[in-house]
Amino acid sequence: MSGNEPVLRVFIVDDEPPARTRLRDVLTDCNDQLSLQVVGEAANGREALDKLVDASVDVVLLDIRMPQMDGIELAQHLHKLHKPPVVIFTTAYDEYAIKAFELHAVDYLLKPIRKERLLESLMRARDSGPLQNEVLHDLSPEPRKNLSSHERGKIHLIPIEQVLYLRAELKYITVRTADREYLIEESLSALEKEFTSRFIRIHRNCLVSKDAIEGFVRGGEDSAESGGWMAKLKGLEELLAISRRQQHIVKEFG
Amino acid sequence: MAKSTWGTLQLSTMNKGRSIKQNTMKEALPNFRNLGITLRILLISNGMALLLALSEASSWIDVMQYMLQISTLLTPILLSAWVLLWVMQPWLARLSYWYGVLTVNILVAVVTLITCFFGGELFSQLSSDESAFYLVRNTLLSVVVSSALLTYFRLRTLALSSSVHDARLQVLRARIRPHFLFNTINAVLGIVRTQPKRAETALEDMADLFRMAMSDARDLVPLQKEIQLSRQYIALEQMRMGERLHVDWQLQDLPEDALIPQLLLQPLLENAVYHGIEPLHQGGKISVTLRRNGEELRLMVMNPRLPHGEGLHRGNKVALQNIRERLNLLFDAEAHYQVKIGKDFYRVEIALPYVRVRPKLKERSS
Repeated sequence: MSGNEPVLRVFIVDDEPPARTRLRDVLTDCNDQLSLQVVGEAANGREALDKLVDASVDVVLLDIRMPQMDGIELAQHLHKLHKPPVVIFTTAYDEYAIKAFELHAVDYLLKPIRKERLLESLMRARDSGPLQNEVLHDLSPEPRKNLSSHERGKIHLIPIEQVLYLRAELKYITVRTADREYLIEESLSALEKEFTSRFIRIHRNCLVSKDAIEGFVRGGEDSAESGGWMAKLKGLEELLAISRRQQHIVKEFG
Repeated sequence: MAKSTWGTLQLSTMNKGRSIKQNTMKEALPNFRNLGITLRILLISNGMALLLALSEASSWIDVMQYMLQISTLLTPILLSAWVLLWVMQPWLARLSYWYGVLTVNILVAVVTLITCFFGGELFSQLSSDESAFYLVRNTLLSVVVSSALLTYFRLRTLALSSSVHDARLQVLRARIRPHFLFNTINAVLGIVRTQPKRAETALEDMADLFRMAMSDARDLVPLQKEIQLSRQYIALEQMRMGERLHVDWQLQDLPEDALIPQLLLQPLLENAVYHGIEPLHQGGKISVTLRRNGEELRLMVMNPRLPHGEGLHRGNKVALQNIRERLNLLFDAEAHYQVKIGKDFYRVEIALPYVRVRPKLKERSS
């Protein structure tokens, strides 16, 4: 029936081996009505990211509850890919997620997976684009465990607890860890909102990890903030300026 | 798995005969051999004596004196009545509730009469002409106190059994986690084409688990049966999770005839899997230790825990709360329950009395 349609390339992410087998079986059953190909599978988020960077995939079937990184967070990182795939979530039971999916009209499949339902979702996915990042943000009940940065054809995951500060530059945000810097394309105010319990704003362009603050020193006289306080972070030589409006932080943390 | 049918037939007869029903049925006498019950009796009757002393006395010294006076009479009556009740316990348990109440009250009255009559000489204030009055008065007081105690125990049992009833529903809901149910069905579907035999076993195991979950949670079951069920449960989870789930069973010289509350071990394992193993990408090991320690059975389940793991989920709390309530109802102060949350582990320890299968029932059922 789909003689001139291109083959739909499908990728499976689920931490349980039999669940992946089940999806493969049902996808095979779908093959006579929709030409598709299973191009790969992964047992966790990190593996999926590594494999998907190189693969060209149209649809990802993504389990929500997985160890380390849940499916919704993984979907957010998949957005960093050059050509983000369409995501169809799968879940056995997750009241919160299902409510959120319904609310945002996001497609999901309930386990056990049925052929008719899967076929329907795949057909729809073929004609639609990937989910908006804002929608994915709304789906997630809690902040991400990692930030992700696309760099030379690879997606780096940066565990959020390793981040010392986030600083807005012209077009990007610099993510600083003890080892190195990464660049990400996100908005500082959205990050501030998402990780409100972890970071504190010390300057219009800078969020600092509360755990990383080591102390405060009086700043140099060369800048506009002359005489103002600077924050000293654990493991960093660099001092970060605290703007006049945020000077009260010194009292709270000092 | 071949042994999975063990005890199913045996159980159906045993369930009817052997559960601690004197504790759980709506109207039943308290178990006078239970430590918790005994302590309550001692505490409440002495508390009443103190009230009496307070109302009679005119100074604090007075209270002491009255209390002493009452105690010289109360203590021997209390002790001898308790010893008699302890001895008669198995027989009392078989009486219908109201006959039981009557028997206990008569027993208490007789004990009081005898104590006052023969011990009367010891109590200086009992002069001969007043002795008849004192005899009747003390007997009356004793019966009032014993009735009050029985009423208290009756109300307590009623309160607890309704919570057991609620808890049962909660257990059903918390235990058969939808998460577990649907994932397992999905997994069975996943292996049914390639490993049909394994899928069959999995469905059989699921049936056993659900049958147990839907039966009366108040019953005691043979320890071996609960272990068997827990192993079946673990087999199902291993089908889903594969290499990630390891269980180390330490079962040391467990008595064949021991009974434990059903669904005591399995929900603990389910918690361990759900909260301990599933969040770990590389999986982990659950340790189960079961052993007999004199007249006690000791049970321990330990699982890894993410260092920065969040607190307990509500489902977890419900399941654990339910286990605690059931232990409390069945064994009162004779069961102990302890949770230890370490930096990277989570451990539940339970000690409960070693209850044996009645030999008669064993013969009948074999």
